[in-house]
Amino acid sequence: MTQPPLIQPLIALLILALIAVLLALVFWPGSGLFARWRRARRLDERVLIEDALKHLYGARLRQRKPTLQSLAGAANISADRAARLVERLTELELVELHNGDIRLTSEGETYALNVLRAHRLWERYLAEKTGFAESEWHERADWAEHTLSEDDLAALSSQLGHPMHDPHGDPIPTAEGDLVYHGGKPLNGMAPDKPLQIVHLEDEPEAVYAQLMAESLYPGMRLQVLETSPTRVRFWADGKEHVLAPIAAANVSVRALPAAEAVDDTPSRHLDSLQPGESAKVVRLSSRCRGIERRRLLDLGILPGTKITAELISPSGDPIAYRIRGALIALRRQQARLIDIEHPTGEAI
Amino acid sequence: MTEQKSIRTHAACETCPVHNAGNLLRLGVDMSDWDYVVALAGNPNVGKSTVFNALTGLRQHTGNWPGKTVTRAEGGFEYDSHRYKLVDLPGTYSLLASSPDEEVARDFILFGQPDVTIVVVDATQLERNLNLALQVLEITDRVVVCLNLMDEARRHGLEVDDRALARRLGVPVVPTAARYREGLPELLAAVADVATGRTVCKPRRLRNEPPALKHAVSTLVRQIHALYPGLPNARWVALRLLDGDESITAALRNGELGDLTRGEPVPIETAHPIELEMAR
Amino acid sequence: MTASTAETMHPSTDGVQPDDILSTAQALRWQISGDFHEKIVEAAYAEAAAIADSVVTRPGASPRLALDRTIDRIVTSRLWGFPLMILLFTLVFWITIAGANLPSRWLAMLLVDWGHPALKQLADGIGLPWQLSGLLIDGMYLTTAWVVSVMLPPMAIFFPLFTLLEDAGYLPRVAFNLDNLFRKSGAHGKQSLSMMMGFGCNAAGVVATRIIDSPRERLIAMITNNFALCNGRWPTQILIATLFIGALAPAHLAGLVSATAVVGVTMLGILLTFLVSAGLSRTVLKGEASAYSLELPPYRPPRILQTIYTSIIDRTLYVLWRAIVFALPAGAVIWLIANIHIGGPSIAEHLIGFLNPVGLLIGLNGVILVAYIVAIPANEIVLPTILMLTVLSTGMHEAGAGAGVIFELASQNATYSILQAGGWTLLTGINLMLFSLIHNPCSTTIYTIYRESGSAKWTAVAALLPVVMGLLVTFVVAQVWGLFVA
Repeated sequence: MTQPPLIQPLIALLILALIAVLLALVFWPGSGLFARWRRARRLDERVLIEDALKHLYGARLRQRKPTLQSLAGAANISADRAARLVERLTELELVELHNGDIRLTSEGETYALNVLRAHRLWERYLAEKTGFAESEWHERADWAEHTLSEDDLAALSSQLGHPMHDPHGDPIPTAEGDLVYHGGKPLNGMAPDKPLQIVHLEDEPEAVYAQLMAESLYPGMRLQVLETSPTRVRFWADGKEHVLAPIAAANVSVRALPAAEAVDDTPSRHLDSLQPGESAKVVRLSSRCRGIERRRLLDLGILPGTKITAELISPSGDPIAYRIRGALIALRRQQARLIDIEHPTGEAI
Repeated sequence: MTEQKSIRTHAACETCPVHNAGNLLRLGVDMSDWDYVVALAGNPNVGKSTVFNALTGLRQHTGNWPGKTVTRAEGGFEYDSHRYKLVDLPGTYSLLASSPDEEVARDFILFGQPDVTIVVVDATQLERNLNLALQVLEITDRVVVCLNLMDEARRHGLEVDDRALARRLGVPVVPTAARYREGLPELLAAVADVATGRTVCKPRRLRNEPPALKHAVSTLVRQIHALYPGLPNARWVALRLLDGDESITAALRNGELGDLTRGEPVPIETAHPIELEMAR
Repeated sequence: MTASTAETMHPSTDGVQPDDILSTAQALRWQISGDFHEKIVEAAYAEAAAIADSVVTRPGASPRLALDRTIDRIVTSRLWGFPLMILLFTLVFWITIAGANLPSRWLAMLLVDWGHPALKQLADGIGLPWQLSGLLIDGMYLTTAWVVSVMLPPMAIFFPLFTLLEDAGYLPRVAFNLDNLFRKSGAHGKQSLSMMMGFGCNAAGVVATRIIDSPRERLIAMITNNFALCNGRWPTQILIATLFIGALAPAHLAGLVSATAVVGVTMLGILLTFLVSAGLSRTVLKGEASAYSLELPPYRPPRILQTIYTSIIDRTLYVLWRAIVFALPAGAVIWLIANIHIGGPSIAEHLIGFLNPVGLLIGLNGVILVAYIVAIPANEIVLPTILMLTVLSTGMHEAGAGAGVIFELASQNATYSILQAGGWTLLTGINLMLFSLIHNPCSTTIYTIYRESGSAKWTAVAALLPVVMGLLVTFVVAQVWGLFVA
């Protein structure tokens, strides 16, 4: 009853393998044709213009002089291309040249603020409403900022409850172009023993930002410098000591707090270290717990001062069930690590 | 579920002083010509649906699952010769409108201007449940607190002083065990009293806002009162504006908020799709 | 509503306009700190805690709480947690299978064996034209009756049992025990429950994902629910395993071998659930928001009668109604393609001839593919449709019940000989079992996914992903088979 096969099995399998390879070539993340095409689009005129404006605006904020080289570096293009770009920008009256200085015109500034608004709103959106990892926000926002229209931005802003700051603590310009700068100073220049508060964490370069993330720093964090030396900056925050290289500390902007608002120096640990039978009070929720995850924990009544008792451990070790305000609620270790607690009381079983 | 039931219930306890549950006519989905609208709010898994089913004669099953989003139900009942429409709001932990469910519940209590809002609270987890009740009291005066799951509280050896609770909240509090129909006649009587104005609530309002906010809130409240002198929840509105709440901003801009000062319901689409939609 | 005034003007005293208030608010927002939202929550909770403290008293230690704790210790213990769980679920499945057997047979007798001929007779009696009686009775009625008799009894038993465990508070503990396994594939422990529900019916399983309150994990659970072998597919698996795989073993081992094959396919389904969940959570669903929490509510004595009533109304009848709505048109289509002839052969035969090369390429055949296309509404009718189409396309007019009339045979030998006449081999059997596990969800489930997710995009993913996977798997198996076995 067996019919002769339509194609030789070996050939059929080879064809399948070929198709698989072709699909991989096109869609492979990072180096596939699709990814390349997306990167190529970055060299579109709109993208270049907007990136250039952003760079010029940023340089002015940091009181640095933008040059053709720095512009070429920021937009990832050749110096020649950068020169042509500046020419184009002057044509569009977004930029003026003053004895070699490249300056934004007021239209240019409005445009730049709009791009900044798009970038920061999108980062805020990614932080609040999506599950993308923190390390992906900046790159994704760099892409999205060139695609959002003014209407999109208005809708996005209202959906997010018109946020004032992006997740790094930077102010988001309003649609009218108002921007209140945080006015912070770099951490490495601060004198010891004064209460300070982080107002901004610079997310570029990525390697330095990763160090700041590894130290669990966040905008709004209160700290007290213990020691500043040419080799390191040592400070106390959130119940423990942190050490940063001066180059990393320079990317942390802080402002002085009134002396009355002293830094909380209770040593703390994470909730996942609580053993069954032990109880402890919550000190704070880490700022890295964001969006719906943070709201969920707040809804469950996990707030500073809340007493939590560990009761059950799942047979496979994770999650752990905690008694919180009378209810038994299971949290995964990964989440419990985002909740800081005081030293536990009670006996472990 | 389209069946309509109009069974007279047996009074839960004949000897109760208020055994007029006999006056309860469950109307199922028949909600024509209602005199009063009653909203049913509460945390998830506090027996809200049980209360709803007991009053309307409808059957809505939701499991013993906290956080389960159910489709919204509306039903009707007749009590003491008044017809009531009962709207079951999605179960939420708070009313800060940070999820679609919370927004639906909040908008209905604020703009739908129900004549009475029943807040069902779990007597065994009063702390977490009062959080929501206090938020409801910020928005509306006409509230009856249904202190449900009293049977479980007893089983767990808890005693809840419902009179003290009523004094502290400033609204009627009725202990119930809806699964066993305990306390429902009293609940109905309390709802009717608030609906008809026989009981006037003096709800407790949260006062202890963080000091940093005091100035901002009082500035806004002054302005809001200048615009709408009769607005009962100006402080709450001020907080929502500071939080950047879009629907309150819109309501202020187009005057809907002003309509609330006259007890006029704002025609919101009550058919807001409460059926869970993935937020995207 | 009581009060209503005719006044429509908005009062605006002292010249304050709404826009003034808004700009004041905007200006104030820059001055206050960003975490004030939390400060408000904190204030509300502090007040709630103070009130609760003053009105709640605990006169004595509670025996109930201690009991709850003891039960919790046992059902989540390292030693007893998993065995207890397996025991309970085995019991549930056993009661379902054992209990559904008889009612299923009665229903089939009533609706199919007795109802169908009776209706035909009635139609003949009143002189209905054969086309009409064929379409209505052989097509629509018979197909629907089939779906009902296979589907109703197991669901009417399975769902109430499951609901009882749910109401008592045991199921959240199951999710607690299994969560780690699901966490590793980016899913939520509660997916174990929607998956288990899926063994009864995928549409009900998809509805059950409502208990998962994190958007990303809920989508994962919906999309992968199809890999839980549902009630409608068990009979196909069991029959094919008996005919083709059990037959390979010596007679006294046949039952064991075919049972192992079915269990193997089920396990493969569970494995695929984890693999696909992991894949989805790391690729297309990476950006969906996610927030884990699992509340373990206090145990409550379940109220048996009410549970049975509501779970039959809510779950069983709901799913059954959907299935009927989809089965009626499917019955009509099945009958029509077998009875409308275009230039000699029927539409069905044209389709079979057209799809046969594709079918053979993936180790199936044209009949099976046509059956899967027209039987999208319900997996229950796939096998009867295959039999009907095989008889139709091979021209064995002595077997079967006529063109467009789906049937099954009591005798396994007779079934086997029909399939053999259709050109079936061991490979066809194996691949049919695989394809029955890995193919698009039935239309009831697809519709339910659409209703629950509210997204056409994720519905399309849920429908297309498994069918593409199924085609790939059967293709590779068929070609490797051709390489080594044939």
